[in-house]
Amino acid sequence: MTRSARMMIALLALVGALVALYLTLFKVGVIGELVCNLGSCERVNTSRWATFLGLPVAAWGLATYLVLLVLALVSVQRDDLERPIAWTLFLLSGWSVGFSAWLTSKELFVIHAICIWCVTSATIMTLIFFASLLELGRARRGEAANSPEAVPPQGVAGGSIRGDARG
Amino acid sequence: MSQKSARAQRSNVVRAQRAASLKPFYYGLVVVALIGIALIARSAQHSDASRPGIANVSLTPVKAQGHLLGNPNAPVQILEFADFECPHCGEFATITEPDVRKRIIDAGLASYRYFDFPLPHFENSVPASNAAACAGDQNKFWEMHDKLFQGQPDWSAEGNPKGVFESYAKSLGLDMKTWDACYDSQKHMPEINANREEGLRRHVESTPTFVIGTKQIPGAIPYDMFKAYVDTAAMEAGKVAAQDSTPAKGASAKP
Repeated sequence: MTRSARMMIALLALVGALVALYLTLFKVGVIGELVCNLGSCERVNTSRWATFLGLPVAAWGLATYLVLLVLALVSVQRDDLERPIAWTLFLLSGWSVGFSAWLTSKELFVIHAICIWCVTSATIMTLIFFASLLELGRARRGEAANSPEAVPPQGVAGGSIRGDARG
Repeated sequence: MSQKSARAQRSNVVRAQRAASLKPFYYGLVVVALIGIALIARSAQHSDASRPGIANVSLTPVKAQGHLLGNPNAPVQILEFADFECPHCGEFATITEPDVRKRIIDAGLASYRYFDFPLPHFENSVPASNAAACAGDQNKFWEMHDKLFQGQPDWSAEGNPKGVFESYAKSLGLDMKTWDACYDSQKHMPEINANREEGLRRHVESTPTFVIGTKQIPGAIPYDMFKAYVDTAAMEAGKVAAQDSTPAKGASAKP
């Protein structure tokens, strides 16, 4: 697991942000009807659990995915920030997975309806969490220094510069 | 070349190489984002297209059905097609409707009829309509209507909302034995279905939908807009009344 894991997190966060955007637009009335072939999306999204601290849960989700996306994109570019970003990704996605699990339990046991878009979002967040867990483990083991994708040692890089300069 | 500048140059080259190797990844993200946004925009457009606009409707008087508030002979008739579980209906009922009642209905400018229009994806809508109709048997329909909309979050997600409805009925001082028997027998279901049928006949597709005079307006419109429709309807009703009376005068003038 190296940069590809961070790229995967970025891709998942983007897809999650699009799902959350769709649900947010429904919640604020821009989209009148959700495409929902499985479950009862409108019943879930109009319930009292669709709002958290005065804002639609979907809007919180959108903000979270955007933060995850930005962090993942930065970590793809910057190896020097790998460790703090890995921790932030892990903590943020971990909290979000817990929140998603709580919401899913409300869908199953209180609302008695499932929103397929919410389940999709929860699945995406779980995948991000596992990817961030692996990424964190790698960062903690200090594999970054030995990774072939990390910044090459001076001697090697020097050769590369000379090669580039000639080209 | 100094060691410092060489390091900086090396760093720049590494960064450039990395940026170049990431280009396909960034293009991929942009493509995914564009596809997603296009799908959402398409969904919003489809949703708008399927949402009914403001339509002209006939001036045919409404039969005595629904639940009446105000003077039935008021110059303007307002019909509301609503679902007790629909959040936008709840928003209208709790925020805008108090003003409508005080400044339009109580002032005698219009009559107001509530028609049940339970939407299929709200499972507790029909039980709520049933609870309100049973309260109506004891002349407390509107009081129950208000309780249901104000307490919407308390019962909308319940597997069986009867307990919450019972607490509302008790707080309204209803005869609980009568209300309970009425609720369990579902004796008002034909009226609830008839109200919904009336909405379907008028091509109501979303809730709340209002018919004010000759206009059919979907959505929880704000008070100012509501009042403007009532004023327009009152003017139209006045013109129709004047036209009705003019030929009669002309006819009487003829020898």
